Amino acid sequence: MTPERLAGLSDPAAPFGELEFVESIPFGPKLELSRYRLKNGLSILLLVDRSAPVVAYHTWFRVGSRHEKPGKTGLAHLLEHLMFVEFEGLPAGAFDAKMEELGADNNASTWLDFTQYQEAFPKAHLPVVVELEATRMSKLVLEHELVESEKEVVKNERRYRVDDDVEGRLEELLWAQAFEHHTYHHPTIGWMPDIQGFTAADCATFYRTYYAPNNASLVIVGDLDPAKVLRLLSRAYGHIPPAELPLEDVQPEPTQLAPRRSEIELPTATEKLALAYKGPALGDLDHVAASVLTEILAGSRSSRLFRKLIAEGGMSAEVRAAVGPHRDPSLIEIFVSMRQAKRAEEALALVESEIERMKREPVLRSEIERAVSKSELGLLGSLETADGKASTIGFYECLSGQPADAFARLSAMRRVEPSDVLRVARRYLRPEASTLILARPTPVSPSVEAAS
Amino acid sequence: MTAAESKRLWALDDALPLLHVSVALSAGSASDPPGREGASRLLLRMMRRTAGGRSAQAADELLDGLGSSLSGEVGRGVAALHGTVIRRNVPQFLAFLADALARPAFGKDELDRLRAEAVADLDELLDDDAALVRRAFERRFYQGHLGGRPTTGTRASLAAIGPEDLETHHERLVRQGSLVFAFAGSGERDLLDGFARGLDGALAPKGSLSPKPKLEEPSAPAGRVLHFVDKPERTQTQILMGCLGAHPRDEDHAALHVAHTIFGGTFGARLSQEVRAKRGWSYGAYSALAVESFRQPMTLWTFPKAEDAAPCVVLVLGLLEKLIERGVSKRELALAKKYLKNSHVFSIDTPAKRASLALDAELLGLPHNHHEEFLERALSVDKAAVDAAIQRRLSADRLLITVVGTHREIGSELQRAIPNLTACEVVPFDQDV
Repeated sequence: MTPERLAGLSDPAAPFGELEFVESIPFGPKLELSRYRLKNGLSILLLVDRSAPVVAYHTWFRVGSRHEKPGKTGLAHLLEHLMFVEFEGLPAGAFDAKMEELGADNNASTWLDFTQYQEAFPKAHLPVVVELEATRMSKLVLEHELVESEKEVVKNERRYRVDDDVEGRLEELLWAQAFEHHTYHHPTIGWMPDIQGFTAADCATFYRTYYAPNNASLVIVGDLDPAKVLRLLSRAYGHIPPAELPLEDVQPEPTQLAPRRSEIELPTATEKLALAYKGPALGDLDHVAASVLTEILAGSRSSRLFRKLIAEGGMSAEVRAAVGPHRDPSLIEIFVSMRQAKRAEEALALVESEIERMKREPVLRSEIERAVSKSELGLLGSLETADGKASTIGFYECLSGQPADAFARLSAMRRVEPSDVLRVARRYLRPEASTLILARPTPVSPSVEAAS
Repeated sequence: MTAAESKRLWALDDALPLLHVSVALSAGSASDPPGREGASRLLLRMMRRTAGGRSAQAADELLDGLGSSLSGEVGRGVAALHGTVIRRNVPQFLAFLADALARPAFGKDELDRLRAEAVADLDELLDDDAALVRRAFERRFYQGHLGGRPTTGTRASLAAIGPEDLETHHERLVRQGSLVFAFAGSGERDLLDGFARGLDGALAPKGSLSPKPKLEEPSAPAGRVLHFVDKPERTQTQILMGCLGAHPRDEDHAALHVAHTIFGGTFGARLSQEVRAKRGWSYGAYSALAVESFRQPMTLWTFPKAEDAAPCVVLVLGLLEKLIERGVSKRELALAKKYLKNSHVFSIDTPAKRASLALDAELLGLPHNHHEEFLERALSVDKAAVDAAIQRRLSADRLLITVVGTHREIGSELQRAIPNLTACEVVPFDQDV
């Protein structure tokens, strides 16, 4: 699009409505992303995809639970909930009601490094959604009663995902023990007392601080006309001023020098183990090789630990491994759920033995090839819908600033050599950098009372 | 002699280099031999891991290496293998799939390993309260009906299944012309046609195929029943309530679907607004109207903290009674129709979804254009039709209320709080798993 044409799409009445073309980025072999920017810093990524008459509209904010302070954990997530409730000109419930009327499939999520809002809808409704989303970015209303009610919802979500969920409890404990200084220590959903303590003022401050156009990227994918979309965006978002974003105040996690180990009792039928090693950040060159490593270790039924613990060993019900896809150095996690009457230590011995083997012997090329094929299948599967494409783009845009990184990572994965896997195994799978949680079943004696 | 040909459904599209293949059998948990519940599920898993006499390890390595996935899904009336593969490896994947369907092995050692995995899955289920409430509800709702058979089986039924049972089950179900294929995504039609034809040719003729068990319509619960699944240390409850709903063959199914949309089908629906938005009692509150080969219940699901369980059940009961007594408003009906009309595109926006809808219609014996017709019917219903469907199908008095929670903490209060209970049953959470 020529600068002249772009200038014609900018809304002259909007103080920040001036559009700038930034770059074109290939997105896979057939598609191309275009990046534009508004004068207020809002990044706009457009992908024309006419495979269905729909549009996916995602707003990614570069704020997550990593930005929270002690005593205020869970604030990013609570705010995400409140971002569906009430806005200037839209009384409580009206935002969702309008979205439903459009047939929109809308949702949101908060994680360590980001918060994202998404909807997919029939393409004809794009103008309405642009207005609704621009309103959401700048006109949130936070009434005490609504905040209190939503806090109850979040507390119930926490009970569902963590307090009454064995794996949720283990995961929370693992991260809390593995990170002592970095804000990855606390769970995105927040500690229960912190959720209880939030006020509308807390939420308003967080909203004003981080929900600004210069801290966000719009990702719009589907059957769309870029010129029409840009004109709508300039008019709707061009009135929102940028914010002065605070300096990020995250403490790096010091090098872990000794293993950490603990045991807990949980109301579960079988023993579990969660083992984590300090791993690379998503942007680290080692991350791709570490992903291959976790695939080979426990990424599928053909993986080493599946064979050892489940197929041959017959001791475990489930095993999986993954390296966290986060901005800062994350964790390489291994989770094992045992079968009845099997001790977690049995599995741990085999896990540690396989880890030592990975540090000693190069993996087979056939193992790498399987890991790559499986990742390619996963990537293709994530691109089947407009929503899936937007999620893939938004995630990498937010984490690495490279919205087509999913393809770059797949290419990088194809270049991984056995020596790369050996290197990352030796670099990261060090006992002194490990955290282990063993979960034992609480003695269970359900007293079933006589029924009337 | 020409082999009988199985039905083929198509949704080919080259937008992505990915092919989805589903192969459905006329077997589900309702077809499992008595005392051998879980046989259909074991059969599908056995076919995948022993395709063509391979070892399970060889099968897993091949599938991963091809950039493919293959898994079994078992419902009450049907079962299917669903596979996905990167396009460049379609021929090898199809060869494997043919081996899985036509040439599985039923060795005792592999079956023992599989059985142990299936039992371990049941242990895992005990940790998942949302799955536990669903299983307990279905077992109790369909008590005495084939629909109550758990697709996963039980420890006892899994132990009773031998290699010969699976071999017989396979012979009975995987027959020439008896399968349904659905192909979606990127693939050459001639190649896929040839695969289906070749596979049919490799199977035994239908011959004396024993008929599918006749599925009687299930009965509604005899009264308002509280079914408490007692699990220790619960800070939260899982609540699933249900009365008998409607089947797509029922004339008022579309009208009842609209009613469900208004009552609990969306975030803005009555249930979610009253339970979550106004009171903050639960992270979610939804209704569902599932479709199977026989009439399914309309269910209401929510999960409040333990202390809120009693008032929450009373609230939901009140909402259901109000729906039955007063029906829906014209405004609600108009909004629901807009939602159904506009959101329909998301049930057909990928080749895999289009194939899945076609497969559902075929397996349930519905017209091939059922889903389009269904939408048209839903959009044409008026308030009187919706209210009539609610009156005819729903009942707050013949209703099963299954609750997973800690009985000693909330059981008595809950029982006292629910008006007009006709029965209260308390079962341990690990009973019959």
